[in-house]
Amino acid sequence: MSDTPVLGTVLRAAGWAGLGLIAVTVSLSDFLARAPAGSTQSGAMLHAPCDAHPFGTDLLGRDMLSETLHGLSQTAFHALLGAAVAVLCGGLFGAVAARLPRPVALTLRGVFGIFAAVPALLLTILAIGLSARFYAPLAAGLAAAPLAFVRAFDHVDIDSTHAEYARATGIPALTLLKRDLTFEFRRMLGSVAARALAAVTIILSTASFLGFGAEPPARDLGLMIAAGKASYLTAWWTAAFPALALILLILCARLAAGLDEGERP
Amino acid sequence: MRRFLARQASGLVVGICGAVAVAAAISAIAEPRAHGALPYLEAAAARLGHFAQGDFGQSAISGLPVLDELAIRMPPTLLLVLAGAVVALLAGLPLGLLFSVGSARRAAAPLVQIVTAMPVFCAGLVLAYGAVHLLHWPVSINLPPGTPVPPDQALQIAALPVLTVGLAGAASVQLALRRAAAQSSGEAFRSGLKRLGLGVFEIERRFVMPQVLAGLVASAGDIMLALLSAAVVAEWVFHRPGAADLFVKSVALADWNMTAVILLVFALLAFFTEFLGRIAGFVLANEGKP
Repeated sequence: MSDTPVLGTVLRAAGWAGLGLIAVTVSLSDFLARAPAGSTQSGAMLHAPCDAHPFGTDLLGRDMLSETLHGLSQTAFHALLGAAVAVLCGGLFGAVAARLPRPVALTLRGVFGIFAAVPALLLTILAIGLSARFYAPLAAGLAAAPLAFVRAFDHVDIDSTHAEYARATGIPALTLLKRDLTFEFRRMLGSVAARALAAVTIILSTASFLGFGAEPPARDLGLMIAAGKASYLTAWWTAAFPALALILLILCARLAAGLDEGERP
Repeated sequence: MRRFLARQASGLVVGICGAVAVAAAISAIAEPRAHGALPYLEAAAARLGHFAQGDFGQSAISGLPVLDELAIRMPPTLLLVLAGAVVALLAGLPLGLLFSVGSARRAAAPLVQIVTAMPVFCAGLVLAYGAVHLLHWPVSINLPPGTPVPPDQALQIAALPVLTVGLAGAASVQLALRRAAAQSSGEAFRSGLKRLGLGVFEIERRFVMPQVLAGLVASAGDIMLALLSAAVVAEWVFHRPGAADLFVKSVALADWNMTAVILLVFALLAFFTEFLGRIAGFVLANEGKP
Protein backbone atom coordinates (compact mmCIF):
# COMPACT_ATOMS: atom_id res chain seq x y z
CA MET A 1 0.00 0.00 0.00
CA SER A 2 2.77 2.42 0.89
CA ASP A 3 4.18 2.16 -2.65
CA THR A 4 1.07 3.73 -4.17
CA PRO A 5 1.40 7.33 -2.95
CA VAL A 6 5.14 7.21 -3.69
CA LEU A 7 4.55 5.95 -7.23
CA GLY A 8 1.80 8.52 -7.72
CA THR A 9 4.03 11.34 -6.47
CA VAL A 10 6.94 10.21 -8.63
CA LEU A 11 4.79 10.00 -11.75
CA ARG A 12 3.13 13.34 -11.02
CA ALA A 13 6.59 14.89 -10.61
CA ALA A 14 7.64 13.22 -13.87
CA GLY A 15 4.61 14.79 -15.56
CA TRP A 16 5.48 18.28 -14.32
CA ALA A 17 9.16 17.73 -15.25
CA GLY A 18 8.06 16.66 -18.73
CA LEU A 19 5.87 19.76 -19.07
CA GLY A 20 8.82 21.88 -17.92
CA LEU A 21 11.05 20.26 -20.51
CA ILE A 22 8.45 20.86 -23.20
CA ALA A 23 8.20 24.51 -22.08
CA VAL A 24 11.98 24.90 -22.44
CA THR A 25 11.94 23.19 -25.86
CA VAL A 26 9.06 25.36 -27.01
CA SER A 27 10.72 28.58 -25.87
CA LEU A 28 13.92 27.60 -27.68
CA SER A 29 12.16 26.17 -30.75
CA ASP A 30 13.36 28.92 -33.10
CA PHE A 31 16.93 28.29 -31.94
CA LEU A 32 16.71 24.46 -31.94
CA ALA A 33 14.95 24.15 -35.30
CA ARG A 34 17.21 23.84 -38.32
CA ALA A 35 14.87 25.73 -40.60
CA PRO A 36 12.27 28.48 -40.09
CA ALA A 37 8.62 27.43 -39.91
CA GLY A 38 7.17 26.48 -43.29
CA SER A 39 10.51 26.59 -45.07
CA THR A 40 10.05 24.32 -48.11
CA GLN A 41 12.74 22.44 -50.04
CA SER A 42 15.03 22.04 -47.03
CA GLY A 43 15.68 18.60 -48.50
CA ALA A 44 14.36 16.13 -51.03
CA MET A 45 10.64 15.34 -51.01
CA LEU A 46 9.55 12.60 -48.59
CA HIS A 47 13.11 11.75 -47.60
CA ALA A 48 13.27 9.07 -44.88
CA PRO A 49 14.92 9.96 -41.54
CA CYS A 50 18.70 10.33 -41.98
CA ASP A 51 21.61 12.26 -40.39
CA ALA A 52 20.76 15.48 -42.23
CA HIS A 53 17.04 15.20 -41.43
CA PRO A 54 16.57 13.07 -38.27
CA PHE A 55 12.76 13.18 -38.64
CA GLY A 56 12.84 13.01 -42.48
CA THR A 57 11.14 15.47 -44.84
CA ASP A 58 7.54 15.89 -45.99
CA LEU A 59 5.82 16.21 -49.38
CA LEU A 60 7.15 19.77 -49.83
CA GLY A 61 10.67 18.91 -48.67
CA ARG A 62 10.20 20.57 -45.26
CA ASP A 63 12.48 19.33 -42.46
CA MET A 64 10.13 17.39 -40.17
CA LEU A 65 12.26 17.97 -37.04
CA SER A 66 12.04 21.75 -37.48
CA GLU A 67 8.36 21.57 -38.39
CA THR A 68 7.57 19.36 -35.39
CA LEU A 69 9.33 21.82 -33.05
CA HIS A 70 7.45 24.78 -34.53
CA GLY A 71 4.19 22.80 -34.46
CA LEU A 72 4.73 21.80 -30.82
CA SER A 73 5.39 25.42 -29.96
CA GLN A 74 2.17 26.53 -31.65
CA THR A 75 0.10 23.73 -30.07
CA ALA A 76 1.50 24.20 -26.56
CA PHE A 77 1.02 27.99 -26.65
CA HIS A 78 -2.56 27.74 -27.87
CA ALA A 79 -3.37 24.91 -25.45
CA LEU A 80 -2.03 26.98 -22.56
CA LEU A 81 -4.30 29.88 -23.51
CA GLY A 82 -7.28 27.53 -23.85
CA ALA A 83 -6.51 25.82 -20.54
CA ALA A 84 -6.40 29.21 -18.77
CA VAL A 85 -9.85 30.00 -20.18
CA ALA A 86 -11.16 26.56 -19.16
CA VAL A 87 -9.83 26.93 -15.60
CA LEU A 88 -11.24 30.44 -15.18
CA CYS A 89 -14.63 29.93 -16.86
CA GLY A 90 -15.00 26.31 -15.79
CA GLY A 91 -13.20 25.19 -12.64
CA LEU A 92 -13.00 28.53 -10.82
CA PHE A 93 -16.44 29.75 -11.87
CA GLY A 94 -17.95 26.37 -10.91
CA ALA A 95 -16.38 26.55 -7.44
CA VAL A 96 -17.73 30.10 -6.98
CA ALA A 97 -21.16 29.38 -8.50
CA ALA A 98 -21.82 26.48 -6.11
CA ARG A 99 -21.64 28.95 -3.21
CA LEU A 100 -24.05 31.48 -4.71
CA PRO A 101 -27.68 31.63 -3.47
CA ARG A 102 -29.30 28.27 -4.26
CA PRO A 103 -31.69 29.35 -7.08
CA VAL A 104 -28.89 31.17 -8.92
CA ALA A 105 -26.47 28.29 -8.35
CA LEU A 106 -28.93 25.68 -9.62
CA THR A 107 -29.82 27.79 -12.68
CA LEU A 108 -26.15 28.13 -13.59
CA ARG A 109 -25.64 24.40 -12.99
CA GLY A 110 -28.56 23.68 -15.33
CA VAL A 111 -27.28 25.98 -18.09
CA PHE A 112 -23.75 24.60 -17.95
CA GLY A 113 -25.18 21.07 -17.73
CA ILE A 114 -26.88 21.58 -21.11
CA PHE A 115 -23.59 22.52 -22.77
CA ALA A 116 -21.76 19.71 -20.94
CA ALA A 117 -24.12 17.26 -22.68
CA VAL A 118 -22.67 18.17 -26.08
CA PRO A 119 -19.23 16.77 -26.96
CA ALA A 120 -16.65 19.51 -26.36
CA LEU A 121 -15.21 18.88 -29.83
CA LEU A 122 -18.53 19.80 -31.48
CA LEU A 123 -18.86 22.91 -29.32
CA THR A 124 -15.34 23.96 -30.32
CA ILE A 125 -16.03 23.44 -34.02
CA LEU A 126 -19.28 25.39 -33.69
CA ALA A 127 -17.60 28.26 -31.81
CA ILE A 128 -14.81 28.46 -34.40
CA GLY A 129 -17.37 28.32 -37.22
CA LEU A 130 -19.26 31.22 -35.62
CA SER A 131 -16.12 33.30 -35.08
CA ALA A 132 -12.79 32.65 -36.82
CA ARG A 133 -9.97 30.14 -36.69
CA PHE A 134 -7.87 32.78 -34.91
CA TYR A 135 -10.07 32.28 -31.84
CA ALA A 136 -9.56 28.49 -31.76
CA PRO A 137 -7.76 28.50 -28.35
CA LEU A 138 -10.55 30.59 -26.81
CA ALA A 139 -13.19 28.36 -28.41
CA ALA A 140 -11.51 25.18 -27.11
CA GLY A 141 -11.19 26.67 -23.62
CA LEU A 142 -14.84 27.72 -23.59
CA ALA A 143 -15.93 24.32 -24.92
CA ALA A 144 -14.00 22.52 -22.17
CA ALA A 145 -15.37 24.89 -19.53
CA PRO A 146 -18.90 23.41 -19.08
CA LEU A 147 -17.58 20.02 -18.00
CA ALA A 148 -14.98 21.64 -15.73
CA PHE A 149 -17.75 23.83 -14.29
CA VAL A 150 -20.00 20.85 -13.58
CA ARG A 151 -17.16 18.89 -11.98
CA ALA A 152 -16.08 21.80 -9.80
CA PHE A 153 -19.69 22.61 -8.87
CA ASP A 154 -20.49 19.02 -7.90
CA HIS A 155 -17.21 18.75 -5.99
CA VAL A 156 -18.19 21.54 -3.58
CA ASP A 157 -19.76 20.46 -0.31
CA ILE A 158 -21.86 23.48 0.63
CA ASP A 159 -23.13 21.75 3.76
CA SER A 160 -19.65 21.05 5.09
CA THR A 161 -19.07 21.33 8.84
CA HIS A 162 -16.85 24.38 8.55
CA ALA A 163 -19.46 26.15 6.40
CA GLU A 164 -22.14 25.41 9.01
CA TYR A 165 -19.92 26.70 11.81
CA ALA A 166 -19.04 29.78 9.79
CA ARG A 167 -22.69 30.56 9.12
CA ALA A 168 -23.59 29.94 12.77
CA THR A 169 -20.88 32.31 13.99
CA GLY A 170 -22.01 35.01 11.57
CA ILE A 171 -19.01 34.97 9.22
CA PRO A 172 -20.11 36.70 6.00
CA ALA A 173 -20.62 34.52 2.91
CA LEU A 174 -17.98 36.48 0.98
CA THR A 175 -15.34 35.81 3.63
CA LEU A 176 -16.25 32.13 3.58
CA LEU A 177 -16.00 32.10 -0.22
CA LYS A 178 -12.56 33.75 -0.09
CA ARG A 179 -11.41 31.19 2.49
CA ASP A 180 -12.70 28.27 0.42
CA LEU A 181 -11.11 29.55 -2.78
CA THR A 182 -7.83 30.27 -1.01
CA PHE A 183 -7.54 26.92 0.69
CA GLU A 184 -9.51 24.49 -1.41
CA PHE A 185 -9.21 25.72 -5.00
CA ARG A 186 -5.52 26.57 -4.56
CA ARG A 187 -4.91 23.01 -3.36
CA MET A 188 -6.42 21.54 -6.55
CA LEU A 189 -5.25 24.27 -8.95
CA GLY A 190 -2.22 22.35 -10.24
CA SER A 191 -4.23 19.24 -10.98
CA VAL A 192 -7.18 21.21 -12.46
CA ALA A 193 -4.84 23.23 -14.70
CA ALA A 194 -2.95 20.14 -15.89
CA ARG A 195 -6.18 18.32 -16.62
CA ALA A 196 -7.52 21.32 -18.52
CA LEU A 197 -4.27 21.48 -20.49
CA ALA A 198 -4.60 17.82 -21.50
CA ALA A 199 -8.27 18.18 -22.45
CA VAL A 200 -7.76 21.42 -24.40
CA THR A 201 -4.73 19.99 -26.23
CA ILE A 202 -6.84 17.03 -27.41
CA ILE A 203 -9.75 19.26 -28.44
CA LEU A 204 -7.56 21.85 -30.20
CA SER A 205 -5.45 19.34 -32.10
CA THR A 206 -8.54 17.38 -33.17
CA ALA A 207 -10.28 20.57 -34.33
CA SER A 208 -7.13 21.52 -36.19
CA PHE A 209 -6.94 18.06 -37.76
CA LEU A 210 -10.51 18.56 -39.00
CA GLY A 211 -9.54 21.95 -40.49
CA PHE A 212 -10.82 24.24 -37.73
CA GLY A 213 -7.54 25.17 -36.02
CA ALA A 214 -4.32 26.81 -37.06
CA GLU A 215 -4.34 28.69 -40.35
CA PRO A 216 -1.54 27.95 -42.81
CA PRO A 217 1.28 28.93 -43.09
CA ALA A 218 1.29 28.67 -39.26
CA ARG A 219 0.88 24.96 -38.50
CA ASP A 220 0.19 23.21 -35.25
CA LEU A 221 0.59 19.48 -34.63
CA GLY A 222 -3.02 18.65 -35.57
CA LEU A 223 -2.69 20.37 -38.93
CA MET A 224 0.70 18.71 -39.53
CA ILE A 225 -0.81 15.28 -38.91
CA ALA A 226 -3.72 16.15 -41.23
CA ALA A 227 -1.19 17.12 -43.92
CA GLY A 228 0.78 13.91 -43.30
CA LYS A 229 -2.36 11.80 -43.72
CA ALA A 230 -2.01 11.89 -47.51
CA SER A 231 1.46 10.34 -47.47
CA TYR A 232 1.94 8.54 -44.15
CA LEU A 233 0.94 5.09 -45.41
CA THR A 234 4.13 5.07 -47.49
CA ALA A 235 6.16 7.69 -45.56
CA TRP A 236 5.28 7.05 -41.89
CA TRP A 237 7.52 9.80 -40.55
CA THR A 238 5.33 12.58 -41.98
CA ALA A 239 2.64 11.90 -39.36
CA ALA A 240 4.45 9.79 -36.75
CA PHE A 241 6.75 12.46 -35.26
CA PRO A 242 4.10 15.19 -34.90
CA ALA A 243 1.76 12.56 -33.40
CA LEU A 244 4.43 11.44 -30.92
CA ALA A 245 5.09 15.04 -29.89
CA LEU A 246 1.36 15.56 -29.38
CA ILE A 247 0.95 12.36 -27.35
CA LEU A 248 3.96 13.32 -25.21
CA LEU A 249 2.44 16.71 -24.40
CA ILE A 250 -0.93 15.15 -23.47
CA LEU A 251 0.73 12.36 -21.47
CA CYS A 252 2.84 14.79 -19.43
CA ALA A 253 -0.23 16.92 -18.69
CA ARG A 254 -2.22 13.85 -17.62
CA LEU A 255 0.56 12.54 -15.40
CA ALA A 256 0.89 16.01 -13.84
CA ALA A 257 -2.88 16.00 -13.19
CA GLY A 258 -2.62 12.80 -11.16
CA LEU A 259 -2.97 9.15 -12.04
CA ASP A 260 -6.60 8.71 -11.08
CA GLU A 261 -7.76 11.54 -13.27
CA GLY A 262 -9.25 10.76 -16.64
CA GLU A 263 -10.54 12.94 -19.45
CA ARG A 264 -13.63 12.49 -21.53
CA PRO A 265 -12.05 11.80 -24.96
CA MET B 1 -37.01 5.99 -5.55
CA ARG B 2 -39.83 8.39 -6.51
CA ARG B 3 -37.80 11.44 -5.49
CA PHE B 4 -34.82 10.17 -7.47
CA LEU B 5 -37.00 9.51 -10.52
CA ALA B 6 -38.63 12.92 -10.26
CA ARG B 7 -35.22 14.63 -9.97
CA GLN B 8 -33.84 12.77 -12.98
CA ALA B 9 -36.99 13.40 -15.03
CA SER B 10 -36.95 17.12 -14.25
CA GLY B 11 -33.26 17.22 -15.18
CA LEU B 12 -34.09 15.52 -18.47
CA VAL B 13 -36.93 17.95 -19.25
CA VAL B 14 -34.75 20.99 -18.42
CA GLY B 15 -31.95 19.56 -20.54
CA ILE B 16 -34.21 18.90 -23.53
CA CYS B 17 -35.78 22.39 -23.31
CA GLY B 18 -32.31 23.95 -23.06
CA ALA B 19 -30.99 21.94 -26.01
CA VAL B 20 -34.01 22.96 -28.14
CA ALA B 21 -33.48 26.63 -27.18
CA VAL B 22 -29.77 26.43 -28.07
CA ALA B 23 -30.64 24.76 -31.40
CA ALA B 24 -33.15 27.54 -32.16
CA ALA B 25 -30.52 30.14 -31.31
CA ILE B 26 -28.03 28.52 -33.71
CA SER B 27 -30.64 28.11 -36.41
CA ALA B 28 -31.60 31.81 -36.10
CA ILE B 29 -28.11 32.78 -37.33
CA ALA B 30 -29.27 31.60 -40.76
CA GLU B 31 -31.98 34.29 -40.74
CA PRO B 32 -30.68 37.08 -43.02
CA ARG B 33 -32.59 39.85 -41.19
CA ALA B 34 -31.37 38.82 -37.73
CA HIS B 35 -28.85 41.64 -37.28
CA GLY B 36 -28.81 43.25 -33.86
CA ALA B 37 -29.89 41.81 -30.53
CA LEU B 38 -33.65 42.32 -30.81
CA PRO B 39 -34.14 41.03 -34.40
CA TYR B 40 -31.95 38.06 -33.52
CA LEU B 41 -34.03 37.21 -30.43
CA GLU B 42 -37.20 37.57 -32.51
CA ALA B 43 -35.73 35.24 -35.13
CA ALA B 44 -34.76 32.72 -32.43
CA ALA B 45 -38.26 32.83 -30.96
CA ALA B 46 -39.73 32.35 -34.45
CA ARG B 47 -37.46 29.35 -34.97
CA LEU B 48 -38.65 27.88 -31.70
CA GLY B 49 -42.20 28.18 -32.99
CA HIS B 50 -41.24 26.46 -36.24
CA PHE B 51 -39.47 23.69 -34.28
CA ALA B 52 -42.65 23.15 -32.27
CA GLN B 53 -44.51 22.60 -35.56
CA GLY B 54 -41.87 20.13 -36.74
CA ASP B 55 -40.39 22.55 -39.29
CA PHE B 56 -36.60 22.53 -38.95
CA GLY B 57 -35.93 24.52 -42.12
CA GLN B 58 -33.90 23.66 -45.19
CA SER B 59 -30.24 22.87 -45.69
CA ALA B 60 -28.33 25.82 -47.13
CA ILE B 61 -26.04 23.41 -49.02
CA SER B 62 -28.41 20.89 -50.61
CA GLY B 63 -31.67 22.86 -50.44
CA LEU B 64 -33.40 19.75 -49.04
CA PRO B 65 -35.48 19.84 -45.86
CA VAL B 66 -33.12 19.30 -42.94
CA LEU B 67 -35.07 16.33 -41.60
CA ASP B 68 -35.02 14.58 -45.01
CA GLU B 69 -31.26 14.89 -45.25
CA LEU B 70 -30.82 13.84 -41.64
CA ALA B 71 -32.96 10.76 -42.28
CA ILE B 72 -30.37 9.71 -44.86
CA ARG B 73 -27.24 10.65 -42.89
CA MET B 74 -28.22 9.70 -39.33
CA PRO B 75 -28.62 5.89 -39.68
CA PRO B 76 -24.96 5.27 -40.67
CA THR B 77 -23.81 7.34 -37.69
CA LEU B 78 -26.16 5.55 -35.29
CA LEU B 79 -24.98 2.22 -36.67
CA LEU B 80 -21.36 3.30 -36.20
CA VAL B 81 -22.05 4.41 -32.61
CA LEU B 82 -23.97 1.20 -31.87
CA ALA B 83 -21.27 -1.06 -33.31
CA GLY B 84 -18.64 1.04 -31.51
CA ALA B 85 -20.57 0.60 -28.25
CA VAL B 86 -20.50 -3.18 -28.69
CA VAL B 87 -16.72 -3.10 -29.27
CA ALA B 88 -16.34 -0.71 -26.33
CA LEU B 89 -18.15 -3.10 -24.00
CA LEU B 90 -16.34 -6.18 -25.36
CA ALA B 91 -12.93 -4.56 -24.92
CA GLY B 92 -13.60 -2.19 -22.03
CA LEU B 93 -15.48 -4.51 -19.67
CA PRO B 94 -12.76 -7.16 -19.22
CA LEU B 95 -10.03 -4.52 -19.12
CA GLY B 96 -11.95 -2.37 -16.68
CA LEU B 97 -12.77 -5.30 -14.41
CA LEU B 98 -9.17 -6.52 -14.53
CA PHE B 99 -7.83 -3.05 -13.72
CA SER B 100 -10.46 -2.57 -11.01
CA VAL B 101 -8.94 -5.22 -8.73
CA GLY B 102 -6.98 -3.49 -5.92
CA SER B 103 -3.36 -4.18 -6.83
CA ALA B 104 -4.01 -4.33 -10.59
CA ARG B 105 -5.77 -0.96 -10.44
CA ARG B 106 -2.74 0.71 -8.93
CA ALA B 107 -0.30 -1.01 -11.29
CA ALA B 108 -2.41 -0.34 -14.39
CA ALA B 109 -2.96 3.36 -13.69
CA PRO B 110 0.23 4.59 -15.44
CA LEU B 111 -0.32 2.21 -18.36
CA VAL B 112 -3.91 3.38 -18.81
CA GLN B 113 -2.76 7.01 -18.78
CA ILE B 114 -0.21 6.32 -21.52
CA VAL B 115 -2.68 4.46 -23.76
CA THR B 116 -5.48 7.00 -23.31
CA ALA B 117 -3.16 9.93 -24.03
CA MET B 118 -3.54 9.15 -27.74
CA PRO B 119 -6.18 11.37 -29.41
CA VAL B 120 -8.87 9.49 -31.36
CA PHE B 121 -7.67 10.71 -34.77
CA CYS B 122 -4.15 9.42 -34.04
CA ALA B 123 -5.63 6.06 -32.98
CA GLY B 124 -7.59 5.93 -36.25
CA LEU B 125 -4.49 6.63 -38.31
CA VAL B 126 -2.47 4.02 -36.38
CA LEU B 127 -5.21 1.43 -36.92
CA ALA B 128 -5.29 2.22 -40.65
CA TYR B 129 -1.49 1.95 -40.88
CA GLY B 130 -1.54 -1.40 -39.07
CA ALA B 131 -4.40 -2.67 -41.25
CA VAL B 132 -2.54 -1.78 -44.46
CA HIS B 133 0.92 -3.00 -43.50
CA LEU B 134 0.17 -5.96 -41.23
CA LEU B 135 -3.18 -7.27 -42.46
CA HIS B 136 -2.98 -5.95 -46.06
CA TRP B 137 -6.51 -4.59 -45.77
CA PRO B 138 -7.86 -1.87 -48.03
CA VAL B 139 -8.53 1.43 -46.22
CA SER B 140 -10.70 4.36 -47.18
CA ILE B 141 -8.66 7.19 -45.62
CA ASN B 142 -7.21 8.52 -48.86
CA LEU B 143 -10.04 7.52 -51.19
CA PRO B 144 -12.18 10.34 -52.59
CA PRO B 145 -15.58 10.46 -50.82
CA GLY B 146 -18.23 8.40 -52.61
CA THR B 147 -15.76 5.98 -54.20
CA PRO B 148 -17.62 2.67 -54.71
CA VAL B 149 -16.33 -0.13 -52.48
CA PRO B 150 -16.08 -3.69 -53.87
CA PRO B 151 -18.48 -5.95 -51.90
CA ASP B 152 -15.68 -8.31 -50.79
CA GLN B 153 -13.82 -5.38 -49.16
CA ALA B 154 -16.84 -3.69 -47.57
CA LEU B 155 -16.49 -5.42 -44.21
CA GLN B 156 -12.78 -4.65 -43.91
CA ILE B 157 -13.34 -1.00 -44.80
CA ALA B 158 -16.23 -0.72 -42.34
CA ALA B 159 -14.25 -2.40 -39.54
CA LEU B 160 -11.69 0.35 -38.99
CA PRO B 161 -14.08 3.22 -38.13
CA VAL B 162 -16.02 0.85 -35.85
CA LEU B 163 -12.77 -0.16 -34.11
CA THR B 164 -11.73 3.49 -33.75
CA VAL B 165 -15.05 4.45 -32.15
CA GLY B 166 -15.03 1.25 -30.09
CA LEU B 167 -11.56 1.87 -28.68
CA ALA B 168 -12.52 5.42 -27.68
CA GLY B 169 -15.60 3.98 -26.00
CA ALA B 170 -13.55 1.22 -24.36
CA ALA B 171 -11.31 3.85 -22.75
CA SER B 172 -14.43 5.49 -21.33
CA VAL B 173 -15.91 2.16 -20.17
CA GLN B 174 -12.78 1.08 -18.31
CA LEU B 175 -12.49 4.56 -16.75
CA ALA B 176 -16.07 4.36 -15.48
CA LEU B 177 -15.44 0.86 -14.10
CA ARG B 178 -12.22 1.91 -12.38
CA ARG B 179 -13.92 4.92 -10.81
CA ALA B 180 -16.81 2.80 -9.59
CA ALA B 181 -14.39 0.20 -8.22
CA ALA B 182 -12.37 2.89 -6.46
CA GLN B 183 -15.56 4.19 -4.84
CA SER B 184 -16.76 0.77 -3.73
CA SER B 185 -13.33 -0.14 -2.30
CA GLY B 186 -13.96 2.32 0.52
CA GLU B 187 -17.42 0.94 1.40
CA ALA B 188 -17.80 -0.05 5.05
CA PHE B 189 -19.87 -3.17 4.28
CA ARG B 190 -16.80 -5.06 3.09
CA SER B 191 -15.24 -5.40 6.53
CA GLY B 192 -18.67 -6.03 8.10
CA LEU B 193 -19.43 -8.90 5.74
CA LYS B 194 -15.96 -10.34 6.31
CA ARG B 195 -16.62 -10.36 10.04
CA LEU B 196 -19.86 -12.18 9.37
CA GLY B 197 -17.77 -14.94 7.79
CA LEU B 198 -18.32 -14.34 4.06
CA GLY B 199 -15.41 -15.09 1.74
CA VAL B 200 -13.71 -12.32 -0.25
CA PHE B 201 -14.80 -13.80 -3.58
CA GLU B 202 -18.41 -14.04 -2.47
CA ILE B 203 -18.41 -10.45 -1.21
CA GLU B 204 -16.91 -9.28 -4.52
CA ARG B 205 -19.34 -11.30 -6.62
CA ARG B 206 -22.57 -10.69 -4.73
CA PHE B 207 -22.15 -7.21 -3.33
CA VAL B 208 -19.25 -5.35 -4.97
CA MET B 209 -19.87 -6.36 -8.60
CA PRO B 210 -23.43 -4.93 -8.72
CA GLN B 211 -22.09 -1.65 -7.29
CA VAL B 212 -19.32 -1.52 -9.91
CA LEU B 213 -21.72 -2.36 -12.74
CA ALA B 214 -24.15 0.24 -11.40
CA GLY B 215 -21.34 2.80 -11.59
CA LEU B 216 -20.68 1.79 -15.20
CA VAL B 217 -24.34 2.03 -16.19
CA ALA B 218 -24.70 5.38 -14.41
CA SER B 219 -21.82 6.68 -16.58
CA ALA B 220 -23.67 5.77 -19.80
CA GLY B 221 -24.05 9.46 -20.67
CA ASP B 222 -20.29 10.02 -20.54
CA ILE B 223 -19.70 6.89 -22.63
CA MET B 224 -22.23 8.10 -25.22
CA LEU B 225 -20.42 11.46 -25.44
CA ALA B 226 -17.12 9.65 -26.01
CA LEU B 227 -18.71 7.53 -28.74
CA LEU B 228 -20.28 10.56 -30.47
CA SER B 229 -17.00 12.52 -30.37
CA ALA B 230 -15.14 9.54 -31.77
CA ALA B 231 -17.80 9.10 -34.49
CA VAL B 232 -17.14 12.67 -35.70
CA VAL B 233 -13.44 11.93 -36.03
CA ALA B 234 -13.86 8.41 -37.47
CA GLU B 235 -16.31 9.55 -40.15
CA TRP B 236 -13.92 12.33 -41.15
CA VAL B 237 -10.78 10.17 -41.15
CA PHE B 238 -12.38 7.24 -42.99
CA HIS B 239 -14.63 9.28 -45.32
CA ARG B 240 -17.91 7.81 -44.05
CA PRO B 241 -20.89 9.92 -45.11
CA GLY B 242 -22.75 10.15 -41.79
CA ALA B 243 -24.37 12.87 -39.69
CA ALA B 244 -21.19 13.53 -37.70
CA ASP B 245 -19.26 14.17 -40.91
CA LEU B 246 -22.16 16.33 -42.11
CA PHE B 247 -21.92 18.42 -38.93
CA VAL B 248 -18.29 19.34 -39.67
CA LYS B 249 -19.14 20.23 -43.28
CA SER B 250 -22.25 22.18 -42.23
CA VAL B 251 -20.26 24.37 -39.83
CA ALA B 252 -17.51 24.89 -42.45
CA LEU B 253 -20.11 25.97 -45.03
CA ALA B 254 -22.26 27.94 -42.55
CA ASP B 255 -25.33 25.71 -42.94
CA TRP B 256 -26.75 26.70 -39.54
CA ASN B 257 -30.12 24.94 -39.85
CA MET B 258 -28.40 21.61 -40.37
CA THR B 259 -25.79 22.34 -37.69
CA ALA B 260 -28.50 23.18 -35.14
CA VAL B 261 -30.51 20.02 -35.77
CA ILE B 262 -27.52 17.66 -35.71
CA LEU B 263 -26.35 19.23 -32.46
CA LEU B 264 -29.87 18.87 -31.05
CA VAL B 265 -30.04 15.19 -32.01
CA PHE B 266 -26.62 14.50 -30.45
CA ALA B 267 -27.58 16.36 -27.26
CA LEU B 268 -30.87 14.42 -27.04
CA LEU B 269 -29.01 11.14 -27.47
CA ALA B 270 -26.64 12.11 -24.65
CA PHE B 271 -29.48 13.29 -22.36
CA PHE B 272 -31.63 10.17 -22.85
CA THR B 273 -28.65 7.83 -22.42
CA GLU B 274 -27.64 9.64 -19.25
CA PHE B 275 -31.23 9.55 -17.92
CA LEU B 276 -31.71 5.84 -18.60
CA GLY B 277 -28.21 5.01 -17.35
CA ARG B 278 -28.72 6.85 -14.06
CA ILE B 279 -32.03 5.11 -13.40
CA ALA B 280 -30.62 1.69 -14.27
CA GLY B 281 -27.55 2.42 -12.15
CA PHE B 282 -29.73 3.46 -9.21
CA VAL B 283 -31.83 0.28 -9.45
CA LEU B 284 -28.73 -1.93 -9.77
CA ALA B 285 -26.97 -0.25 -6.86
CA ASN B 286 -30.02 -0.62 -4.60
CA GLU B 287 -30.57 -4.26 -5.54
CA GLY B 288 -26.96 -5.14 -4.80
CA LYS B 289 -26.85 -3.41 -1.42
CA PRO B 290 -26.05 -5.78 1.47
